[in-house]
Amino acid sequence: MKKLMFLFLALLSLQNLAAQESKSKKAQKATIMTSSECGNCKERIEGKLNYTKGIVFSELNYDSKELVVKFKPNVISLEQIKKIVSELGYDADEIKADKKAQNKLPLCCQPGGMKK
Amino acid sequence: MKIKISIVFLLTSFQIFSQLKGVIYGNSLISQNNEKNQRKEIIVGAKVKSLQTKKGTISSEEGLFEIVLSKNLPDTLVISAFGYYNDTLIVTKKDRFALVEINLYADKLLPEVVASAKREGHGIFKLKVLQVENIGEGELRKAACCNLSESFETNASVDVNITDAVSGAKKIQMMGLDGVYTQFQFENIPYLRGLESSYGLNSIPGTWIESIQITKGTGNVVNGYESMAGLINLELKKPENIERFYFNFYGNRLGRAEVNLHGGGKVNSKIHGAWFVHGAGLQNQIDENKDGFRDVPLSKNFAFLNRWRYDGKKMEAQFGFNTNFEDKEGGQLNFDPRKIDTLFGVHIVNRHLDAFAKTGFFFPKKPYQSIGIVYNLKFHQSEAKFGNRTFFGEEKRAYINAIFDGIIGNTNHKIKSGISFIYADVYQKLDSIELPRVELVPGIYTEYTYSGTRCTYIAGSRLDYHNLYGLQFSPRLHGKFSINENLDFRFTGGKGFRVSNMVIDNISLLATSRAWILDTIIKPEVSWNFGGSIVKDFFIKERKASLSIDFYHTRFENQLVVDRDRDHNSIYFTNLQGKSFSNSFQTELSLPVLKNFDVRMAFKYLDVKSELAGIIQDQVMIPKYRAFINLAYFSRNKRWEYDFTTSVYGKSRLHDVSHLANYMDDNNESKIFPIINAQITHIYKSWDFYLGGENIGNYRQKDPIVGVENPFGSDFDATRVWAPILGINVYTGVRYKIKKKKN
Repeated sequence: MKKLMFLFLALLSLQNLAAQESKSKKAQKATIMTSSECGNCKERIEGKLNYTKGIVFSELNYDSKELVVKFKPNVISLEQIKKIVSELGYDADEIKADKKAQNKLPLCCQPGGMKK
Repeated sequence: MKIKISIVFLLTSFQIFSQLKGVIYGNSLISQNNEKNQRKEIIVGAKVKSLQTKKGTISSEEGLFEIVLSKNLPDTLVISAFGYYNDTLIVTKKDRFALVEINLYADKLLPEVVASAKREGHGIFKLKVLQVENIGEGELRKAACCNLSESFETNASVDVNITDAVSGAKKIQMMGLDGVYTQFQFENIPYLRGLESSYGLNSIPGTWIESIQITKGTGNVVNGYESMAGLINLELKKPENIERFYFNFYGNRLGRAEVNLHGGGKVNSKIHGAWFVHGAGLQNQIDENKDGFRDVPLSKNFAFLNRWRYDGKKMEAQFGFNTNFEDKEGGQLNFDPRKIDTLFGVHIVNRHLDAFAKTGFFFPKKPYQSIGIVYNLKFHQSEAKFGNRTFFGEEKRAYINAIFDGIIGNTNHKIKSGISFIYADVYQKLDSIELPRVELVPGIYTEYTYSGTRCTYIAGSRLDYHNLYGLQFSPRLHGKFSINENLDFRFTGGKGFRVSNMVIDNISLLATSRAWILDTIIKPEVSWNFGGSIVKDFFIKERKASLSIDFYHTRFENQLVVDRDRDHNSIYFTNLQGKSFSNSFQTELSLPVLKNFDVRMAFKYLDVKSELAGIIQDQVMIPKYRAFINLAYFSRNKRWEYDFTTSVYGKSRLHDVSHLANYMDDNNESKIFPIINAQITHIYKSWDFYLGGENIGNYRQKDPIVGVENPFGSDFDATRVWAPILGINVYTGVRYKIKKKKN
């Protein structure tokens, strides 16, 4: 019985290892800090990213401004994702928002928009 | 140890109580005139700041906020949102438990400030005094097929029943009472009443609908006296936020095809318009139970609606018109109404035209005050043929309702009062018997709302003078009491009345060879409804779950009783002698198990009795109970939605047919049966694709038609239907939309 258990555990850990190995090819999760403000931003960012090739899902929490993205690194890179976010008019970690796009956003979505 | 723990618990719970919760609404000036809260919108992301703690919070997607209060109360909260005037609220110790409603007023005339927000697909409005359930667009998407009657499929409060085995008509029921006792309204204009009550549900496709509000019990007095068991309000898509273009195609395995189109937008800064088109048809004969009768009638439907909105400086107006046409051919296979033959057939034609308008005037300096006037003109023709029996009906109706909205002193005391006038010319002809009626009903009403921090009461009454039935007084009282921030108690009581349209209300009973016997002069139906509900919210990892329990009792003072129990050859229509009542108990649990997985369960128990054949007994065709479960899952990228709904219906009493040879040992009871529906939706940018199944369990009533061998014989009865006639139905469809341009 014990042996069996051990075998089972070993198998499990192996599987785990294998999973980690292939992670670089498989989907990866990352959190991006954005300059989002409200529900409208959520719709804009998620609406764009969820239909971008290589992205499994994206979820924005506009209270904490954190954007969680799960993506396939062999299709799209994290840098590319940040660039998309910036093109939408939002800061994405170190990449600043595209100013033109930001100015086009509704007032509530601009930095500090909800604090006025 | 135990004591210690409980003390700690108590302390922490006290700490929780020093929070304040509330909802923030934005009121835009231009729409203050609409008599309801139509342009009262939830504000997402409004800022709430405590002056003492200097801490703040932002309202959620549902407009809700929670703020930790300072220990030294009173504290002042400053509420601000972009596009609205700031407001302050002083919070005292007394208010700690309460849920507050904050109304901000727009600082501009056109405050399209607040971004679109995902609203809950389904839920009970927390702040409404009445128990109002909302079916939003998300929920409507779950039952993609097809029109209003299917919109209630994922809802436990409203039941949708097939009325007979030949006409394919569906009718709703609330609290076990026929749909005619529930008042329908289209954006607060009485709708689907009179001659439309039996077939009207087919005339509004689901894709036109923005949301549906279901109120249990007698509704507000503002919209009339007819809400006896409940009130259902439909909100169609509005010109100011409609998609620029929307296309929907639906097809099912039976060969039914349906096309829905709508669109609209801004014409100029003052005018918005929208148009809606619907066409559907089924031209394929289906007889899967091999009884020689079509399981679903052949049908053709067409509907068109056009609406406009005008926003002026001191005035707002909405107007539009709606027309629809329906043609249904049911009955024996190969029946053709254009030919004279010996087959039993059902042929129903409905033609409808109505025009509506709403105008509102407001007082820029007094945003809490407004005058709104609602107008409606209707023309409806209904023709029906059931075998040898024919019906013709025509209704002309004019309706006007003027509502004044104001306050007494401050906004804690609101008052609504107004006058209404109805002109209705209803003509019904069954075979050679004519039943003409002209109604003239002027009415006045007043409704007073008191909003305290913890409780809100609405007391309303209306007085109508009916030219045929004299003075009618309808008092109503509703109240809401927040026991704490997550526990609400509501009660309602009131009187309602309506004048029955004997033939059209019961038209499906023509699908039997029993004779109709009316031996008295019909009096108006009068009922009292009392009820209460408790709604408890709780949280599973910040996700809101809720449990609701409600009970309603409806008692008729007078009713048009349809008695099928007196003998086997006739149906008696009489005024109520003795008792007629309905008790309805419902409990519903909604659990967001995961972020993207919701479970909703409900159980309903019905006890609907009336004096039939001299004894108080169960009404026929009302299941004793209904159990309901809905599972909804969506993928995290929101591209896939899965829905699964099961309802189990309890036994119901059926009218006696034991005198017939085939039914000698029938116990006049239906069986317990399930209905399972499921749907998958795939969303891709502007496209949605859906595939669904109805009645997947393939439950069918065996021999739905009694005496099917001889449709013109004395045994024929197609009204003893309590379960689906049709088995599995598979459907698929596509939706395409071009969203409204964002400013």
